[in-house]
Amino acid sequence: MARMKFYCDAERCIECNACVTACKNEHEIPWGVNRRRVVTIKDGEQGERSLSVACMHCSDAPCAVVCPVDCFYTTGDGIVLHDKDICIGCGYCFYACPFGAPQFPKDAAFASRGKMDKCTFCAGGPEEDHSSDEYKKYGRNRLSEGKLPLCAEMCSTKALLAGDADVIADIYRKRVVNRGASAFNWGGSEIKG
Amino acid sequence: MIEYLIDGPLWYFSLAVFVIGVLWQLGSIVFAGRKGDLSVARGNATSSGFKNIFSRFIPHREIAPQIGVQVVAGYLFHLGLFALLFFAAPHVLFLEENLLGFGWTPMPHWAFIMASQAAFLGLIILWVRRMTNPVSRLISTLDDHIVAILTFVVMLTGCLALLEGFNALRLLHRFTVELWLIYFPFSALMHTFTFIPSRAFTGAWFGRRGIDA
Amino acid sequence: MRIKTLLILFCLVLPQISLADGPPKSLNSPEGVSAISPGSELWRAVRQRDGEVLEGVSQVKSVDSGMLINARGDQWARFRISKLTTYGGIAIAAVFVIVILLYVVRGKIPIEGGLSGRMVRRFTDYERIVHWTLAIVFLFLTITGLILLLGKPLLIPLFGKEVFSVFASASKEGHNLFGPLFLVSLIMIFLSFARRNIYEKGDLTWLLKGGGIIGDGHVSGGFFNMGEKTWYWMVILIGFAIAISGLILVSPVFGQGRWIMELSHVIHTIGALILITVSIGHMYLGSIGSEGAMEGMKSGYVDINWADAHHDRWGKKCHDENLIISAEEYARLQGRKPDDTAELATEQGK
Repeated sequence: MARMKFYCDAERCIECNACVTACKNEHEIPWGVNRRRVVTIKDGEQGERSLSVACMHCSDAPCAVVCPVDCFYTTGDGIVLHDKDICIGCGYCFYACPFGAPQFPKDAAFASRGKMDKCTFCAGGPEEDHSSDEYKKYGRNRLSEGKLPLCAEMCSTKALLAGDADVIADIYRKRVVNRGASAFNWGGSEIKG
Repeated sequence: MIEYLIDGPLWYFSLAVFVIGVLWQLGSIVFAGRKGDLSVARGNATSSGFKNIFSRFIPHREIAPQIGVQVVAGYLFHLGLFALLFFAAPHVLFLEENLLGFGWTPMPHWAFIMASQAAFLGLIILWVRRMTNPVSRLISTLDDHIVAILTFVVMLTGCLALLEGFNALRLLHRFTVELWLIYFPFSALMHTFTFIPSRAFTGAWFGRRGIDA
Repeated sequence: MRIKTLLILFCLVLPQISLADGPPKSLNSPEGVSAISPGSELWRAVRQRDGEVLEGVSQVKSVDSGMLINARGDQWARFRISKLTTYGGIAIAAVFVIVILLYVVRGKIPIEGGLSGRMVRRFTDYERIVHWTLAIVFLFLTITGLILLLGKPLLIPLFGKEVFSVFASASKEGHNLFGPLFLVSLIMIFLSFARRNIYEKGDLTWLLKGGGIIGDGHVSGGFFNMGEKTWYWMVILIGFAIAISGLILVSPVFGQGRWIMELSHVIHTIGALILITVSIGHMYLGSIGSEGAMEGMKSGYVDINWADAHHDRWGKKCHDENLIISAEEYARLQGRKPDDTAELATEQGK
């Protein structure tokens, strides 16, 4: 089985937020919920870097560890999904997640926190594939159509990669080798010694 | 099956019992008739009766210090429950979709939380007082306890269903509401409607005799 | 070196990629290059490796959206699951066992000389209302809170996830809604009982004698004894800590960050576990553990023999100020006819 992973190349990400927009549009995610976001560190300073971050589909996920109702499960492809029929919206997964991936809608008439929503790696949820229930709760199921997550497919600089971990590792390794050859050319003033 | 029953027949049955029962009870009071009062009137019965409906909202100064707890708790509970019943967002939506066909602006979330907490605190204090005060305990009937507990259970199931994510919890709330509606006309809950004629009658009765009720 | 740091970067951002086949050999050779990658310190800070927190910015405006990696989250999650849940459950079970053992060994602690039937007023109506209001709210919060804390290891195996999540959702909403009521009743408890719970001179003796549970005979005490006072201040101090951390947890609308939530959660849970375990002892001593104690919170009156035995200094004051009422008077105040045992006790008392 493949092991699905995201990887964002900080040397390529240009903070265009196309991945965020693509994700919102593809899954029709409401306002206030962002399955993916781009974070820029040292914005406007030397050494500025941007990264697109969403659920990283950890193999030993802290969210699954802390969930009091045990609503998380890992698919055969190594994708961490959750069952919204079981989620109680307690917010613990948000505290536990290193990446701040879990999001909570506030659209129910009363709820201070609705049921959790997060990146599904475009793999839907426990409902039947391509059912309207699945689309309503989890968004599009692209993986079962043989497609990769839209955020990565749309990325204009190919900074955001999604797919089998081995394949991505290979792509990145090649990039590192290429950059290694020209390492002295970037970030010049910060090179010491 | 249970879902169908609670959302369908039982709901209409409880609504019918509630409406017919309340009308029957109020009708029996209105049409009970009483002997004419032949005494010479020393005061105006109508105005005293009308005045008494409102003046009883405030406790008499002489006894106010002794009943401070239940006055405060009583107002917390009744105002909170009233706000919950008619201005909670899901209730407004429910009434609009199932009964009335029109809605109104519901409370914001924070106001709902405050109202429900006031109602819960008031009801708990009132019930504890009923149990701890020897006089209250002595004059409480089984009906009083059933009414208090049933209302508490209705409010509790509503609060447990707050996430609006589990059908079982919604059905539980609706089921307890239906029980409450069925029990309503035959119990002390009728004071929701009868407090007005009751106060008016007392006020008029005393007013005619020239007593400031 | 720069390549090594690049590799570190690579491992940091993508921790799960397996490097089974290892990096190409040429990348590992030192070749005498001693340049430090500009990224290395940056990513070190992002990972919060040295305790330093580097915040970025994001177009997404939500709590902590600028923080790329929250290193504490995982620690907190594992602390909750392995420590709080496990030891919390064990502590509560242990206190139950201790209480049962205490009952088996000591039984109901009787009043010397039995009940006299003559009563003395201990608590007013308002004080009892406040106590029982807090008790009801506390019990409800305990049950719902424990379902959320211990449900995963204890209840999911019994009922399955689908059924348990209904209970858990109900518990969460109920817990959130009743939480502020705990704060309100706590304030009422504070205002009603604070003055009588200030520590006095005799309290240390009480502590040294172990409160009478361990040895034989009763220990001198005032209106409240040392143990009751300590329980009271535990309720007040830990209770306020629980209430305030709970309010922080229940209202995620003021922009408080994740680690404030994690901290609040730990304070809330540890505090609650302490209060729950001690409250089991309190309930035991107030009901089946000690004869005549329950009467004080039920009717507001206690038997004068009970007062003399457990709170002798207060009992003496009641004798001196002649506050004792007869069994008949007590029965009248409670709205019932004096029963036979009370009459008998009164005659014996005379």
